[in-house]
Amino acid sequence: MDKIFTKNIEHESAVKHVTGKAIYTDDISEPKNLLHAVIGYSNCSKGVIKKIDYKDVLSSEGVVDIITEKDIEGINDVGPIFKGDKIFTSKNIEYYGQPIFAVIAKTNNLAKKAALKVKIDLKISKPIVSIEEALKKKSFVLKPKHLTRGNIKYGFKKSNNILKGKLYSGGQDHFYLEGQIAMTIPQEDNNFLVYSSTQHPSETQQIIGKVLKQNYNSIHVIVRRIGGGFGGKETQSFLFAAITSIAAKKLSKPVKLRVDRDDDMIMTGKRHDFLFDYEVGFNNSGEILALKIMMASRCGISPDLSGAINDRAIYHIDNAYFLPNIEINSYRCKTNTVSNTAFRGFGGPQGMFCIENIIENIAQKLNREASEIRKINFYKDKIKNTTHYGMRITDNVIEDIFNKLIKKSNYKKRRAEINNFNKKNKVLKKGIAITPVKFGISFTTTHLNQGGALVHIYTDGSIHLNHGGIEMGQGLMTKLALVASNEFGLYYENIKISSTDTEKVPNTSASAASATTDINGAAIVNAINNIKSGLNEFIYDYFKTNSKIKYENNFVYFDKRKISFKELINTAYLNRIPLSSSGFYKTDKINVNTKTLQGRPFLYFTYGAAVTEVIIDKLTGENKILQVDIIHDVGNSINKRIDKGQIEGGYIQGLGWLTTEEVSWKSNGVLATHSPSTYKIPTAGETPFKFNVEIYDHGFNKEKVINRSKAVGEPPFMLAISSFIALKDAVYNANKGKNSENLIAPATAENILKSLH
Amino acid sequence: MSRAHVDFLLNEEKISIKDLDTNITVLNYLRNNHELTGTKEGCASGDCGACTAVVGELKENKISYKSINTCITFLYSLHGKQLITVEHIQKNKLHPVQQSMIDSDGSQCGFCTPGIIMSMYNMYKNKIKPTEENIDKFLSGNLCRCTGYLPIKNAIKNMYSYKSNKFSKSKVIRLLKSIKKTDIVIKKNDSKFFIHYNLNSLIKDYQKISNGHLLVGGTDLALEVTKKRKDLKNIFYLGSNKDLNYVKNKNNNLHIGSATPINDILPILENIYPTFAKMFERYGSEQIRNTASLGGNIGSASPIGDSLPVLIALNSKIVIQGKVKKTLLLDNYFLSYRKTKLKHNEIIKEIIIPIYKKNILKCYKISKRIDDDISSVFMAINARIEKNIIKEIKIVCGGLAETPKIAKKAQKFLLNKIFNEENINEAKKIIKKEFDPIDDMRASKNYRTKISQNLLERFLYENNKIKSTLY
Repeated sequence: MDKIFTKNIEHESAVKHVTGKAIYTDDISEPKNLLHAVIGYSNCSKGVIKKIDYKDVLSSEGVVDIITEKDIEGINDVGPIFKGDKIFTSKNIEYYGQPIFAVIAKTNNLAKKAALKVKIDLKISKPIVSIEEALKKKSFVLKPKHLTRGNIKYGFKKSNNILKGKLYSGGQDHFYLEGQIAMTIPQEDNNFLVYSSTQHPSETQQIIGKVLKQNYNSIHVIVRRIGGGFGGKETQSFLFAAITSIAAKKLSKPVKLRVDRDDDMIMTGKRHDFLFDYEVGFNNSGEILALKIMMASRCGISPDLSGAINDRAIYHIDNAYFLPNIEINSYRCKTNTVSNTAFRGFGGPQGMFCIENIIENIAQKLNREASEIRKINFYKDKIKNTTHYGMRITDNVIEDIFNKLIKKSNYKKRRAEINNFNKKNKVLKKGIAITPVKFGISFTTTHLNQGGALVHIYTDGSIHLNHGGIEMGQGLMTKLALVASNEFGLYYENIKISSTDTEKVPNTSASAASATTDINGAAIVNAINNIKSGLNEFIYDYFKTNSKIKYENNFVYFDKRKISFKELINTAYLNRIPLSSSGFYKTDKINVNTKTLQGRPFLYFTYGAAVTEVIIDKLTGENKILQVDIIHDVGNSINKRIDKGQIEGGYIQGLGWLTTEEVSWKSNGVLATHSPSTYKIPTAGETPFKFNVEIYDHGFNKEKVINRSKAVGEPPFMLAISSFIALKDAVYNANKGKNSENLIAPATAENILKSLH
Repeated sequence: MSRAHVDFLLNEEKISIKDLDTNITVLNYLRNNHELTGTKEGCASGDCGACTAVVGELKENKISYKSINTCITFLYSLHGKQLITVEHIQKNKLHPVQQSMIDSDGSQCGFCTPGIIMSMYNMYKNKIKPTEENIDKFLSGNLCRCTGYLPIKNAIKNMYSYKSNKFSKSKVIRLLKSIKKTDIVIKKNDSKFFIHYNLNSLIKDYQKISNGHLLVGGTDLALEVTKKRKDLKNIFYLGSNKDLNYVKNKNNNLHIGSATPINDILPILENIYPTFAKMFERYGSEQIRNTASLGGNIGSASPIGDSLPVLIALNSKIVIQGKVKKTLLLDNYFLSYRKTKLKHNEIIKEIIIPIYKKNILKCYKISKRIDDDISSVFMAINARIEKNIIKEIKIVCGGLAETPKIAKKAQKFLLNKIFNEENINEAKKIIKKEFDPIDDMRASKNYRTKISQNLLERFLYENNKIKSTLY
């Protein structure tokens, strides 16, 4: 498990990506008689359907059929853990974009044309749209949760200073470049083959089974790769795969549903926006002694994953800081908007956003250098090392990373230069910030922390690798092929990466929570060890040896002999030795009390820090990222090229969340930003050319994770909080030292201008 | 006699088409008719670039290349051109842009990658220097959600260091030359697609039809098909019409054919109005600038069309051609929200921009994102300042009313005043009352108003050499 992977190869599909040969769901050769589905959805956010007239839809060119709630044999619900995500509604409209029917036609265009012809008679009523309204009306999707530690009253009493305020972080659309898509192909015996762009094939299978009222073993889901997920295809993909399957079963024809970009943005959930109300007590050196937080998020119409997301926000309110006395009240608000869902960081970014703003506000209040206040509050090694949920931190490297980054980025010198610049410039003002990241790795829902694999060796010595993870660009397949190559001592080229397939590896968890490599990698090692122990037995027996056996460079070494792996396999086959095995892994050590949230939800933490320097225009609020410096801990990396990509990409995606990406709801609950013309994710211009990313050179996972590496998918997203805090600093500097508490996220030019005094 | 088929090169194969739907986009054609699925649909509105391909056109015996969004390009508009797709650029070995992309780790999920490869290919073929500014400019129409762009930028920086295989273009040139450029009418059921090569024949056909749609870049029109799913019955493609594609500098006026792509205007505009040309760097994306036209911007009459306030500020005129030809001051052209004096049987033929040699021209664009975004507020100021007295001034705003609008009261106040803080502050008070903008997802009413005031202040600061712009 602790071997070093030295070969920093490129993404396994890189050549296919650049030549256009990588196959995504919509690129699969279409089966004969393929039909296309398009969903008809509500255009108001709350109301009752009085009458629907499908006449014009059905008579529209190319239409074969429509499907509605009546066509569902099983349950009309695609909710993952909790119910509440209806496939079709026939009566009550609960959010804008709620599916009512699907048209099945000969082409996608004809289906969409027909869907637009529906006539719906509605009685519209007043929706709950904002978090504030939901709080006022006590409208929740799940019960509020509370967490306390220490003695909050005592903490405030000891504090020389108390600050109160409100904070807001906005939503975020995933904007995976490949939109939602699914295709279902009927097989014999009423079985169905489903291609879906999903992060979670097993649950896709289970949900289709429940929707069609069939055993799970009759549903076969295959995913080779998806064009970006970011959490947006963890549960949001189920609706589409369910609909193609209902239609395919009803019509006994293959059915594809490729969702138009605008419809995708309207019909699928986003990152939860959060409202925070805080009161913090601290001493004159800036040490936090008491913190009381009300956090409320817009969950939309159903629970979906909102419980776990809000839990994770609670778990990350500390970020890297010791909070001795704390009281958290978390509200999961139900609104008449599409159900919000998983998105990279899964509540973690929101929790960290809150504490980083609070710390910045403390620094401003005390007129102190914010990086010092951060350091004062860091978790320590021997004392102050237990989180507010009772987990002892044993792998803390934040102080080392932080100090190295301050040095490497010339933070202090640049701070002085910025002060100088700001004195000289009337309109343009600069700001800088360094913020840390500590992010917990593991699904907080303990049972999800399991993975499976299936490894075959064919008689020519080539390997076929199967596991439960989904390739969504994060380089999972590359890393796992490296793991297999390392375990077998084979060149990487001998490992065949395959589609993720529910018939190969069953009952998998979603590719989520950053832990996909950890979990599936360990399962692969388990499978390979099973095969190898059989092979080793065979070698002892057949070659009459008891020496150590080494698998290296396509050869197997024992005694003073060396035979090629291929030869060994062929000999083993002829001697009837099994050359295939499944593998399994579950994460040990973790457990948590779901009511009190106390326990050990995470196997380990990853750490990182970022410095961002920005400039703003006082007249317009326009702003620019000037420089980013990052040191991030990935443990002992399996592939640095891929890890670096995750760090850079995570930062820019986080930057979008905090700057230009504004999810805008009208007061009637209609989404105003449903296309890239109005919803602006970063372009190349947002990425500064001065963007220095370094992988922490002391990275080592204390836990026995594969290669002692660490998860890297989500954590770097939160490095981008430094961009927001830097903008906040620039506003503070522009305000000549008056606070910049009013800046909300996203820090659009407009929100920046608003926060200027 | 018009021809009834369209010929173009799909990569190096000559293709003749006539029986396909007149509304079919290049993207759908590639994916559905040829299974060339390397070109992806990301948005079907020309905003994400996943569908980017490169078009080659014969210009003086050489092929000139430009990138386009295939999702909003009508297939029939390809007549006489070469369409190059991502599948084609690899010959024997990977193209330098591809190899550089791999070596820089420029792809993660890979879905945007083919489009980005084609934008890089466009840079490569046009030998664009990989400066930071150029890289951002040429990537502005390609969204990537995974990489954060840094490795892509590095790939572009390095791409010229790879050796490319040299291939003869003579076959392509020969094939392109073999395609006749005469007027075309495609008829499919009750729909028609027209291509004209001169103004007279265009006007003749256009007069006959009451519901014709004029097409150049398609940034608005194609969305009627891809988003609203309409059937456009009669499309008139103007992009190949030589009488509408030109830029001439004549008697202190710039004459621009209405269908001339923005990128064809820029080389001349840069010398005359550098700030105007600079503004165009933030106008749509490279793909859009390669096809979109001033005529389209004026024809669609959006209150947030970026070129309009500038053109009005410069007292530009437009030439309208119907049964008769007439010339109109652009400011007199707008009636109300997207309503203009252009009648259904008329087209905009030409834009005439006066050249002011002694004036300052400012083009201030405020948008949520810097590249490829629609303005929340746009302000153009055309002024002549002598001895710090404002001798001449025109202030035109976009995004503050239902049409681009002159800030008449503010500019009247400033005329013949000393250009100083006191007067600008007074003008700020005036402009605040002059407009009553709307609240929407791009910006609030308050913000728009505040910006209109503060941009006047920026104008003063810039004149006083105080650094006050980031972009």
